Amino acid sequence: MKVFRSHLLICGGTGCHASGSLKVKQALQGEIDKRGLSEEVRIVETGCNGFCALGPIMVVYPEGVIYVSIKPEDTPELVEEHLVKGRVLERLLYKEPATQEVIPQMHEIPFFALQDLRVLRNRGKIDPENIDEAIARDGYAGMAKALAEMTPEQIIKEVLDSGLRGRGGAGFPTGLKWRFCATASGDVKYVLCNADEGDPGAFMDRSVLEADPHAVLEGMVIAAKAIGTKQGYIYCRAEYPLAIHRLTVAINQAKEYGLLGKDILGSGLDFDLEIYQGAGAFVCGEETALMTSIEGKRGMPRPRPPFPAISGLWGKPSVLNNVETFANIGQIILKGASWYNSIGTERSKGTKVFALTGDVNNVGLVEVPMGTTLGQIVFDIGGGIPKGKKFKAAQLGGPSGGCIPVEHLNTPIDFERVVELGAIMGSGGMIVMNEDKCAVDMARFFMDFVQDESCGKCTPCREGTKRMLEILTNITQGKGKEGDIELLEEMAGIIKDASLCGLGQTAPNPVLSTIRYFRHEYEEHIRYHKCRAGVCSSLFKSPCQNVCPVGMDIPAYIALVRAERFEDAYKVMLKTNPFPSVCGRVCNHKCQAKCRRDNLDESLAIKFLKRFITDSAPRPKQAMSPVTRKEKIAVIGAGPAGLTAARDLALRGYKVTIFEELSQPGGMLRWAIPAYRLPRNILADEIRDNIEALGVEIKCNTSVGRDIGFDQLSKDFDYAFLSPGSQKSQPIGVEGENLKGVFGGVEFLRDFNKDEEIWLDGRKTLGSKVAVIGGGNSAIDAARVALRLGADVTILYRRERKDMPAAEEEIIAAEEEGIKIEYLVAPLKIEGKDGRVIGISCQRMKLGDFDRSGRKIPVVIEGSEFTLSVDAVIAAIGQVSDMSFVPKESGVSVSKRSTFDLAEGAKSQTTNPKFFTGGDALTGPDTVIGAIAAGHQAARDMDNYIRKVNGEPAYEEPEEEKIDVPFIIDEETVETPQAKMPELHPYERKGNFREVEVGFLREVAIREACRCLRCDAEID
Amino acid sequence: MKAKTADTDIDITEEFTPEQMKKLDEIINRSKDKPGSLIPILEESQMALGFLPMPILKIIAKGLKLPLSRVYGVVTFYSFFTMKPRGKYTLRVCLGTACYVRGGKAIYEKVKKELDIEEGDTTEDRLFTLETVRCVGACGLGPVIFVGDNVHGRLKPAKAKEVLSQYS
Amino acid sequence: MAKLTIADLKKIKEKVQSETALREGGQRAKVTVHMGTCGIAAGARAVMDSLMNEIAEAGVSDVMVTTSGCAGMCSKEPMVTVELIGQEPIIYGTMDANKMRQVFKRHVQLGEVQTMFAMARG
Repeated sequence: MKVFRSHLLICGGTGCHASGSLKVKQALQGEIDKRGLSEEVRIVETGCNGFCALGPIMVVYPEGVIYVSIKPEDTPELVEEHLVKGRVLERLLYKEPATQEVIPQMHEIPFFALQDLRVLRNRGKIDPENIDEAIARDGYAGMAKALAEMTPEQIIKEVLDSGLRGRGGAGFPTGLKWRFCATASGDVKYVLCNADEGDPGAFMDRSVLEADPHAVLEGMVIAAKAIGTKQGYIYCRAEYPLAIHRLTVAINQAKEYGLLGKDILGSGLDFDLEIYQGAGAFVCGEETALMTSIEGKRGMPRPRPPFPAISGLWGKPSVLNNVETFANIGQIILKGASWYNSIGTERSKGTKVFALTGDVNNVGLVEVPMGTTLGQIVFDIGGGIPKGKKFKAAQLGGPSGGCIPVEHLNTPIDFERVVELGAIMGSGGMIVMNEDKCAVDMARFFMDFVQDESCGKCTPCREGTKRMLEILTNITQGKGKEGDIELLEEMAGIIKDASLCGLGQTAPNPVLSTIRYFRHEYEEHIRYHKCRAGVCSSLFKSPCQNVCPVGMDIPAYIALVRAERFEDAYKVMLKTNPFPSVCGRVCNHKCQAKCRRDNLDESLAIKFLKRFITDSAPRPKQAMSPVTRKEKIAVIGAGPAGLTAARDLALRGYKVTIFEELSQPGGMLRWAIPAYRLPRNILADEIRDNIEALGVEIKCNTSVGRDIGFDQLSKDFDYAFLSPGSQKSQPIGVEGENLKGVFGGVEFLRDFNKDEEIWLDGRKTLGSKVAVIGGGNSAIDAARVALRLGADVTILYRRERKDMPAAEEEIIAAEEEGIKIEYLVAPLKIEGKDGRVIGISCQRMKLGDFDRSGRKIPVVIEGSEFTLSVDAVIAAIGQVSDMSFVPKESGVSVSKRSTFDLAEGAKSQTTNPKFFTGGDALTGPDTVIGAIAAGHQAARDMDNYIRKVNGEPAYEEPEEEKIDVPFIIDEETVETPQAKMPELHPYERKGNFREVEVGFLREVAIREACRCLRCDAEID
Repeated sequence: MKAKTADTDIDITEEFTPEQMKKLDEIINRSKDKPGSLIPILEESQMALGFLPMPILKIIAKGLKLPLSRVYGVVTFYSFFTMKPRGKYTLRVCLGTACYVRGGKAIYEKVKKELDIEEGDTTEDRLFTLETVRCVGACGLGPVIFVGDNVHGRLKPAKAKEVLSQYS
Repeated sequence: MAKLTIADLKKIKEKVQSETALREGGQRAKVTVHMGTCGIAAGARAVMDSLMNEIAEAGVSDVMVTTSGCAGMCSKEPMVTVELIGQEPIIYGTMDANKMRQVFKRHVQLGEVQTMFAMARG
């Protein structure tokens, strides 16, 4: 017996072959020979290990250490370190994407640890081309038992009792299928294995065949005994050459051992197997089409009944099961039905293998018990969505299936539940889609697929799918019409009803399912020619502009930076945004998340470039806008929404007066966002030059309700825009909230910004230790201000870091400055003494099910209470609007959530047609750019309404100054990371409110602008 | 299914060597009496000849005593078979879902532009034949293209040219 | 190859299982041969070969063999550490093929620490 001290199991599945595992294997062998280790160390090429995204993969035994993404040039170091020196080579170990934690042991990586391997039990453990290794792990033991000890009826009963259902898609009970065939009359019968895995995104069968072909052969022999047949076929896609090769090797080895052929294991059973290569027709995955194809004809389906169990291949009774189904059989027989059905749900037993692909960190093959939730598969095993993007939906069952959206992450996946949600289990392809995927485009993709693969036999399928594809294509190109959705639904019904086979009957599923969950996206495409995901490129110029709430022409101003025409760049920005300097500092820059450059290296620093323009260009002079309209308009609240609306209305010729309760305009920009993020003079200058210069009057220190009545306002003005914002912190709802030293987040920030000097000279103080509750931008702002006032600050947040709504760069800055953040902690009680805060009691949380936003809900860990001693608590868990200034009889209706209600079908008009609204008071707390967009919307709506009431023609935009945007791009794109924003060092930030971000240098900005790929360009 | 046009002008004596023709005879004779052997015979013949023009289909039909319409019907049904000559390398761009969502389409457009051919066509120098495929199961590496049996994974449009230039 | 019977199938299983057992975990003992430059120069290769032969001869599958770099006492190389699960590791110094054979047979297999070669615990 040859013993080796170490076995290197290198993955030789198609995925790892493609990423170069064969070259690594050769290099490794060479290195081992060179160092004279060939008698001690054995290299084994296994089938697919399942962790395809990180291939080539190698597991080193006996330690069970897993190395990922190995390159041939790594092998000398790998051999030297691990095999000679006995040290783990850290740089090739797996790193958990979320935590960056290095995990050396394969079984500790969550991807592997959370799986339950039955079908895939041999993956990565055996050399699939060596039958002895399969036998060593109980290969053919179930078969031996079935042949020696069981009658056909006992076998069928065992399979039936196990609850095993067909893994090919439909989920028909396997035992029942076998019984039908066993009892059908006829001397000649067939057992067939369907390995024509054709669903895009599905590769479980390929993996099983490559990693453990013997399990499939074993299952087929057992089936042969159960139904009484001598001949079997495996119908395998020609696109799977490696699987066919391994199957061929396996069959030959089994024949040599007498495990196939005549008188198997001396039991008297004869059974022969042949591999039949499919020739590339998706429809042949359908059982009757597959049989027609083996008969040597065009693979078209036949009507059922008669079912194949009665009349199948060559008209003889036949059993057809899928690869995964057969791979389960051996163990069911060996370990018994009750072992098998001990896991799973009521009607779906055992495990299911999923091919997890798409926008998920751990792409690969996953085997889990039936009933595992979608969220566990995608987040716990799959490691979540790359780059912190949002989960949108998972497509299950390929082109015959449907999608399951975020609100169903807690759904246990089994045959029944999946169908209820409008998808199908299918063969197990699970394609994860993030927020950047368009529902209509996905439907179009699948329709294109089935349209192409329809065999043409049934007219509704052949022609109907073509028509549906046309409609879908039109919608994605902005040529959709009202009624298209209904037409799609109607046609879907007809195709489903009138097609012979599974392909046609399920072809409309992806369309129906996307309409079910994402109807609003269809409507947006049809009505507003808007693709929110930024996929349907006929509908927009560039993805960054498409996602910007005000549609800033980003490629244009970036091109102007490249051309060093900064003043023109500012003018371009001002067309859509009156506050470019503000947004260059505090915008949440969704544009950068959609930047196509991100697929290459990193997104452009759009926000910083915007700021650079405002730093470098003289602000263009704005002339007073002539008042040409008789209607007088009031705006309540001088936040970004109100100021934007005022500007737009002034430009349209209205006299606008803004009423502001506080001493200076700017709203949250002035009173909540601290000066180290947005210096006061920057904001004040932009308000002066871009708003007041047009003739807008701002009345500060004037509260509507207190200083001027709502009634008076209605009398003095013809129309009003209500944008009071949301400036009241939400209560935490725990005992002790009214103690001295407890602040609301925005109240604290407002008070600090009002009495800055008093706070700075210490007449007002928080004390030395401060707890901030919350995870949004206000919480971080409050914490960083408290820190600058000299306090020791801890943020308490009830979820995980990745769930924090605050901007990532703000969180990082807070950490750099020395703020502690405690995650998964919730307040229980604020402790007080003599009416003052002395501490805060908290409890720790753990993560439970998913909420509708796709984040895990924190649940209390009982007995985990602890107390922090603090001098002040700042609660920044959310804000609401103060609507007390709106009298009931005004006819302006306010919702229970303390936001304005809109008139039916309106976007900004309230229930009293003279009053319009927008910003946080309408939507709840939102972004600056969201508020600016709301201001534009309201101004447009007000003007349109006024003109309609007056019977005037619609407003015509004046001719704009034409700014020529140069088109220069680089011939070759070289990978370059995003330019970094220079910042004050954390120690320079203590105790002052100087702006932290310093701004780009001219040459840095120009170089950064050159990285723009100019997606807006139409190249013909 | 897309119909494939027959190239009837082809002169098989010019296109194929006598050895290839002999191999074809062998393939036909070996399994002509076996039921359902048409598709395996076509597969093997295409391996041997590279493509299956009309005159070859006629020979196969005659050998198997099948109507030509039946053979033609099968050849045009399955995407594996081709009646047109093929390039030295078949360049297959995966447009399966996983590759598609990771940018397979951009790769496809880039390759079409580089080679100046459409899907199913062969470059003039008969170096490349361009095809799209549905999911080859290498989803973990998407987007991927196959050049012959070589897989190039995690591809970016900008790198497509570099990949193509490796082949001659 | 003759056709198998069920009994043959079991035999193959047992034989190959012992060859591939180290992929399954559950080792009883771990023997580390220190193979830094100094160790190899002092003859660690011969010690390793001897160990591998012993394991093959004894037909055991629950002994894990690993290597490590220099242990820092180059003068005492070749060195070998034997760790039986649940017991303190024992370091042996100035080993050779014969000493290795003895340590394997007596310490690894029977649990008797060979104090004459042992240098230290831990």
